Amino acid sequence: MNPDTRLKDPLSLRVTPWISFIGFFVVWQLLIDTGIVPRILLASPAEVGQLFIDKLTNPDPDGAVLLTHTMVSLLEAVLGYVLSLVIGIPLGLLMGWFVVAEGLARPPFEMIRPIPPVAWIPLAIFWFGIGLTGKVFIIWACGVVPCVINAYTGVRMTSPTLIQMARTYGASDWQIFTKICVPSALPMVFGGLQIALALAWTTLVAAELIAANEGLGYLITMGRRLLRPDMIVLGMIMVGLTGWIIGNIIDRIERRLTAGLERGGAAT
Amino acid sequence: MNAALEHPTTVQGLQRHKSPAAILRRLLKNRYVLYLVSISGLLLIWHFSAVNFATSKYMPTPWMVLKELWRIAHENLAGKDLLGHLWSSLHRVLIGFAIGSAVGVPLGLFMALNRYINNLVKPVFDLIKPMPPISWISLAILWFGIGEESKVFIIAIGAFVPALINSYNGIRLVDPALYDAIRMLGANRWQTMMEVTFPAGFPALFAGLQISLSVAWSCVLAAELVSARSGMGFLIILGMTMSNPSMILSGMVVIAVTAYLITVVLSKVEKWVCPWKVELPQ
Amino acid sequence: MTAETVKIECRNVSKIFKQRAGTVQIPVLDDISLRVLENEFLVIVGPGQCGKTTLLRIIAGFETPTAGHVLLDGKEISGPGPDRGMVFQKYTLFPWRTVMANVEMGLKLRGMAKKERREIAGHYIQLVGLQGFEKAYPHELSGGMKQRVGIARAYANDPKVLLLDEPFGQLDAQTRYLMEQETARIWSAEKKTVIFVTNSIDEAVYLADRIITLEGKLPGRVKSSYTVHLPRPREHIDKKFLELRHQITEETELLL
Repeated sequence: MNPDTRLKDPLSLRVTPWISFIGFFVVWQLLIDTGIVPRILLASPAEVGQLFIDKLTNPDPDGAVLLTHTMVSLLEAVLGYVLSLVIGIPLGLLMGWFVVAEGLARPPFEMIRPIPPVAWIPLAIFWFGIGLTGKVFIIWACGVVPCVINAYTGVRMTSPTLIQMARTYGASDWQIFTKICVPSALPMVFGGLQIALALAWTTLVAAELIAANEGLGYLITMGRRLLRPDMIVLGMIMVGLTGWIIGNIIDRIERRLTAGLERGGAAT
Repeated sequence: MNAALEHPTTVQGLQRHKSPAAILRRLLKNRYVLYLVSISGLLLIWHFSAVNFATSKYMPTPWMVLKELWRIAHENLAGKDLLGHLWSSLHRVLIGFAIGSAVGVPLGLFMALNRYINNLVKPVFDLIKPMPPISWISLAILWFGIGEESKVFIIAIGAFVPALINSYNGIRLVDPALYDAIRMLGANRWQTMMEVTFPAGFPALFAGLQISLSVAWSCVLAAELVSARSGMGFLIILGMTMSNPSMILSGMVVIAVTAYLITVVLSKVEKWVCPWKVELPQ
Repeated sequence: MTAETVKIECRNVSKIFKQRAGTVQIPVLDDISLRVLENEFLVIVGPGQCGKTTLLRIIAGFETPTAGHVLLDGKEISGPGPDRGMVFQKYTLFPWRTVMANVEMGLKLRGMAKKERREIAGHYIQLVGLQGFEKAYPHELSGGMKQRVGIARAYANDPKVLLLDEPFGQLDAQTRYLMEQETARIWSAEKKTVIFVTNSIDEAVYLADRIITLEGKLPGRVKSSYTVHLPRPREHIDKKFLELRHQITEETELLL
């Protein structure tokens, strides 16, 4: 909430973020209450809050309570995401160090790379239907690209001095790969995890908007079909909030795992 | 670089004793041979798995996709040919991108230069930022109907976010020593801004626009998948509803090639507008 | 040292850095007084972390002294300005400008016509030996060449005083040696008042009219002062050169 305030700042600078934050909601509420923006176009914050409380227990009118929608979306996202990590990171690491792996994996990868993740949606639905499998496939297809790129780049950026040092000590190719390249690629790999996550979440929402019968994207779509702006806004807020929370969790894990590395300077 | 390290001496003398195993080993170290093996392997596996295992109803062969590409390039699909649909999408991207960056870039610059503006805008921006642009689609349709405006709105929102973030960071992360240098030469505030702040922030700003454009390309597809009567997103969803996987795949080929061309053109433009740029710090 | 006019004067300059809202105070400079005469080449020598760069930044006007005054031509310095020219350790060229545009930047800021400033900048590019590289961008140049541009840029603005902050600290030994010769040559060709900060006694003896050594720990204080009477151009293996270098090294045991 305090984007850039410091202790010695004048009061005016310290309160502006709060004025902005509170003002945003007040203006939004007033726009609806005064009728400047009609209720069929937008719901007020109060209405959205009310619906949030109601949807915690009430499955109507879209068929499921809020927690179910969130958990469905999360499950799809996490499954696809984990699958893309499990395949993408080792693949990228191997491609970075072994010529054979790069030579064989690169052409198909370069073909897939420029396809925007959302463009996989029709194919995935056609192949797997609108259920869990199709969603997981889409998330996997969009998450795997940044995982491979970052793992690959991370290995390629390993300090040549470290590699040569290991060679003078008689380390084998495989030892250099596991003991030097992989650890020094870790910060880059985590950068990839963040990108993959943001992509996965966005794409999942798009997929649910197009074809689903559960999930947060579905909630947003149903809001439009039923002409319920409060449902739309609630869905958007839940999407933003959930994405933000997962992003923070990844950030925490990253800091914990790479803290030692940066201090040790292995990444430089 | 790694290849060179692995074989510090690719010994010329050894080539005289060529055993089949040695030749094979050398071939396996050659990138281009491997690429060739990989591509032909991929096409063969694709072809035979489409012919033998799955029925062509679900998985067309590469040849079928190629023929389909030829077909949609000529035939009229829902009122437009392939180029017409491509142009619909690009047209939306250009308008949405123009609006999004025209708002995002100046706002980012002002936020970087003035802390009051920053403190006023940033909290609201932070509320909007984590929402995927496509999640605005339902509101956009309520507000603007299912016509062009709702798609342009989505694209503009998608382009706006990276444009703002990068122009903001570009200005904030200028090396302070450059300010020392220009002040020492006698620059006033205005000259400092024109000679250091903007040129130093420009590479990051341009990188932001590149991201904006690729996000915009994703957004237009997503918006067209949800509701449209033209455009590349519409084309692949049409393939889906017509149960024609060749059409989906050939549409995806066109989409990928377009995205690739956009990237290539932009990196050329970048070399041209900032010839001094070596590498952008991440 | 022909003229005896005092160009720069530091009167009892002290500097204390405050951290964490003033709870931690680090004294960096303590009661520094010195005078630099017109066209004198003064070298300030001290090890890392002795406050010599801070002193130079105060004279440049980037920092204000906690106590004391810095005078240029008898007038107190109030901020950075074109009457002083600075050469930075990390070169700090404008990466989006060519060599020519970097060198003429100060003149451009002053509003000088293009033709005139081209001529002046061209002269200094030639003086530092970079003719032929006018259209190159900084990233295309080696470290030594970048610093030549830095020197030309400072010279072209015709400042009253030239401040050099460990200008050759990032160069390899060979290039550094060459750049010292070049600096002596350029200075002999166009005399300026120079304050040069370094951690190398050898460099100091080679370049200076006068050397001031600082104590080897914070806060920085003036330890001693040496006048160098050796004729120019100097030789690193000259007997008197080696004697003086030895003497300074002995007396500043904390250095190097």
